[in-house]
Amino acid sequence: MPIKVLAFAGSPRRGGNSETLLDWVLEAMREEPDVEIEKVPLDEANVNPCRGCNACEVLNRCVQRDGMDVLHDKIISCHVLILAAPIFCMGINSQSKALVDRFQVFRSRKYVLKLPVVADELKGKRQGIFLCTAGQNWDYVFDGAIPTVKCFFHVVEVRDKDINYLMVNGVDEKGAILTHPTAKNDAEKLAKDVIANARNLLGLRS
Amino acid sequence: MAVKVLGISGSPHRHGNTETLLDAFLDGAGKAGAETEKVVLKELDFTPCRGCNACHKEGECIVRDQAIPLFDRIFTMDCLAVASPIYSMGITAELKGLIDRAQYIWARKFILKTLYFSNDHIRSHKGIFISTAGLSWDNVFDAAFPAITAFFNTIGFEYYDNIIANEMDKYKGILGHPTAMNEAGEKGERVVKVIEKIRSELDEKAE
Repeated sequence: MPIKVLAFAGSPRRGGNSETLLDWVLEAMREEPDVEIEKVPLDEANVNPCRGCNACEVLNRCVQRDGMDVLHDKIISCHVLILAAPIFCMGINSQSKALVDRFQVFRSRKYVLKLPVVADELKGKRQGIFLCTAGQNWDYVFDGAIPTVKCFFHVVEVRDKDINYLMVNGVDEKGAILTHPTAKNDAEKLAKDVIANARNLLGLRS
Repeated sequence: MAVKVLGISGSPHRHGNTETLLDAFLDGAGKAGAETEKVVLKELDFTPCRGCNACHKEGECIVRDQAIPLFDRIFTMDCLAVASPIYSMGITAELKGLIDRAQYIWARKFILKTLYFSNDHIRSHKGIFISTAGLSWDNVFDAAFPAITAFFNTIGFEYYDNIIANEMDKYKGILGHPTAMNEAGEKGERVVKVIEKIRSELDEKAE
């Protein structure tokens, strides 16, 4: 069984810092023999914001028909879920926030309808990665993003302890991350660690 | 000249808890003699920031949609109330979309240095954050504050106050909340008086 990785590139700026960080992670994962990767640039994914209609609390599905229709099953069946997003104005960018908010359908399923969100054999075995970049170099520049990201992972059964963070500040203009002293190594190491953990959790051998 | 108050509703849900709370605030401000207006972001045609950083060169946004005239309007206001429910521990994508578009104003201030707000300007321009959340957690608004703080800083408004109410699920909506609606009305009246007072102080200083 391959380890399935679903990765969202949340930035509207293609090939920018957060996507580069993601690409480093995915390249390192791709070197592993048993990893299957799907990368979804949100810019092309046609995911509208949540309308706040709460219909999912009754219908167990979203009333909107858009890119989430095809992403829904991939989100709940992957083994490693990755969100890469830049910080804009002290929070994740609007496009990424729209994706997070659309996970309301999973929240409704889990907490309102009390139905399973993932298959039994995946429960407690999914890994999450949050990759983030910010232009400002303040230590607290990611503080507003983290609670939102936790919601994103919690509602699709990625436990708090299975969320891995790599957040790089002080990178603003496109390409700035290329000269960062540690980001690339950290990304590659994270990728290897997460795949090793995934293998352990899923009872697979490399 | 009457104090001008603009309310921006960032909820996709028309006339829900947050917009109702914003309405109570605007009514209070109107009672105190302010000119009030409301913009509903859901009905505005604009896209989120593209992160292209083109504004870092000229201080202008290359995306010409309804966000730009809205910012022009914001700059004619004395008080700005931004309202959003909490979704996934943060403000809605709609309000975040607008806030992210203020990057060109940030660029004018911090990169091009063509825009500067004096302390008197900031003191006489008040920003209010209005929000509701379903959950009862005390910290449910915490992750929203940094973006709101950054937004008011960028546009030269003092982040003056919050009107926030959690536990909407328990109270079955804002109208069931014991204090929030009154608080919003009172704060609307009060902020107009505060702005008038600051204005008269500034006028005296100028004379």
